Amino acid sequence: MIGRSGGARDRILRRVGAATAARERRPHPGALAGDGPDDVVAAFADRFRRSGGEVVAAGMGWRGGELLRWLRDQVPEVTAVATAPDLPGELRPDLPEVAAREAGAGVSVGWGGVAETGSLILPSTGGRAVQLLPPLHIVWISADRIFARLEHALLSLAADLPAAAGLHSGPSKSADIGRTVVTGVHGPGRCVAFVRGALRSPAATE
Amino acid sequence: MRIEIGDYGARARQVIREDPQVREAVTGATLAFDAKRRRSYDEIDSDAWRRWAEAVKSHALTHLDRYLAEAEARLIENGAVVHWAADAGEARQIVMELAAENGVRRVVKGKSMVTEEIDLNPALEGAGIEIFETDLGEYILQLLDEPPSHILGPAIHRTLEQVRELFAERLETPPDGNPDTLARAARKVLRDAFLSAEMGITGGNFLVAETGTVALIENEGNIRLTTSLPRIHVAIVGIEKLLPRMSDLAGFLQLTSRAATGQPIGCFVSLIQGPAARPGDDGPKEVHVVLVDNGRTDVLAHEHAWEALRCVRCGACLNVCPVYRQTGGHAYGWVYSGPIGSVLDPGLLGLREAMPLPFASSLCGACFDACPVRIPIPELLLEWRREAQEEGLTPWRERAALTTLAQMATRPGLYRLAGRIGSRLGGSALGRALPMLGDWARERALPKPSERSFRELWREGIE
Ligand code: SF4
Repeated sequence: MIGRSGGARDRILRRVGAATAARERRPHPGALAGDGPDDVVAAFADRFRRSGGEVVAAGMGWRGGELLRWLRDQVPEVTAVATAPDLPGELRPDLPEVAAREAGAGVSVGWGGVAETGSLILPSTGGRAVQLLPPLHIVWISADRIFARLEHALLSLAADLPAAAGLHSGPSKSADIGRTVVTGVHGPGRCVAFVRGALRSPAATE
Repeated sequence: MRIEIGDYGARARQVIREDPQVREAVTGATLAFDAKRRRSYDEIDSDAWRRWAEAVKSHALTHLDRYLAEAEARLIENGAVVHWAADAGEARQIVMELAAENGVRRVVKGKSMVTEEIDLNPALEGAGIEIFETDLGEYILQLLDEPPSHILGPAIHRTLEQVRELFAERLETPPDGNPDTLARAARKVLRDAFLSAEMGITGGNFLVAETGTVALIENEGNIRLTTSLPRIHVAIVGIEKLLPRMSDLAGFLQLTSRAATGQPIGCFVSLIQGPAARPGDDGPKEVHVVLVDNGRTDVLAHEHAWEALRCVRCGACLNVCPVYRQTGGHAYGWVYSGPIGSVLDPGLLGLREAMPLPFASSLCGACFDACPVRIPIPELLLEWRREAQEEGLTPWRERAALTTLAQMATRPGLYRLAGRIGSRLGGSALGRALPMLGDWARERALPKPSERSFRELWREGIE
């Protein structure tokens, strides 16, 4: 499909060109300096929790069985889940599968995480409804996929960009009514990162 | 949104006298936003970040033709459709045609200043399309039929009691409903809308040239839903939103969030390259990006005002502004209010149309200190005042009254002094300003003036 412009494109670009030609061109300053945290897993966990997210430090050997135990223990009312199409079978909890809009929990795999911002990166190939509609969102992520800085994560993601990606840095929030913070306004009210391999990082398990 | 800037002075007085809750609510909210912003700036080397951000945006703006063409090419490669609109009418037309061609009956929207700017909602409603503003604050305003009064917290001028009353009447919530109950009622209505709308409309915080990425920051998740569930997503983006590279975006997502709400990053960020294409992706089948000029190329060509195009719409300058706090955004009479509105509106609309906004400031300099992209707002205000004077645009008495009011908002101590000599002021500017000063001086939380006065900043030669 061809976009509509009715001559606007060329007119706008001509005007922009004339305006910029008349001005001294400013150089790009290069990358923003900074190091990011050393213990990325602990820093991720700390940031994510401070924004209201929850972190479960999981062993590399954790599978769907451990997740099912956690669900039974934490949210016994959840009796059916929606899972991402790219979720490996071994990470599925053994519960009936329903459509995302009816599920008590959505289970995804994160492409990666970011320590400095406490973010999970979720590609659209994981199915967006699963990431957004259930009130509880559980994201498997492996500790060695957590980047220290957002810049490094985005550059790596850019090498093979999906149609869309979401950065989730805690549960859905709003303070639009009387300046009181309310969670779960539109997106999930609880967001839990199951960090596989985090059991190696004692700070993340606190 | 209709342009009603000319009556700024009268409307400001009216808000202060007749709706004192507004001032209280706005002052409370902006002080809270500002305290978070300050704490968050302290966690980073904010001077270095702000200088970097200023340089990246100035680079992008002085190479804007190149980056626009690059972004367009990437988006097309990604399967998105790119449209160009020279003005508000063209932008509306494009969206209306897309809606008509696709038989759209229902639209969900994410909070977007540019859609207010181009007056999109009335046009769509006129065509019989049902629109749901899905940001909770915007949804409240839609029910009230009011425009937003703050870039970030569109409904900060409304108190819990007012929302309670509104929701009790419209959504049948209990008259003493707490914010949780009220939010749940709104969520229910809006969830149905998300699941049934054929089109989602958003703005865009940034557009990355290198990858053709439209980036959106939010906290509620409504923008992620708006860009994910409907079959068609339309992003309406001002041409000044360009960033050269993905690595730039990383810095801007963080700095904008810190300046806006004091968070290291918003709870949700959407990075959108194009329509769903790969297996597993349940996203929109069509993604349209509408690039809007609507006065921006005029601003870009202006010798000084072009710097205002660096604005990332974080609202930090509104939150620190002692003048904005008195009235909130509605008094300003157009979509961009507060300090940034006072320098951007004259550029976008023409100075005549935007009078007397450049005079609604005491030049205290707090906005410059807060601005993540270091827009020299006080300097630009002076420039617009100079041009207004040259063109003979405002009678001096009105100008003097406004600037006096602004001074008073900034330094309430002056009011007490004025009170002592009040009766002798007669027809002077201060005398005319006095009726509203009583209220201003009663403000409980006195604004803290910038540590450096504007004159000092001027001498330091802020570029
Ligand atoms: S002028 Fe600066 S502080 Fe004000 S909204 Fe724009 S970026 Fe934020």
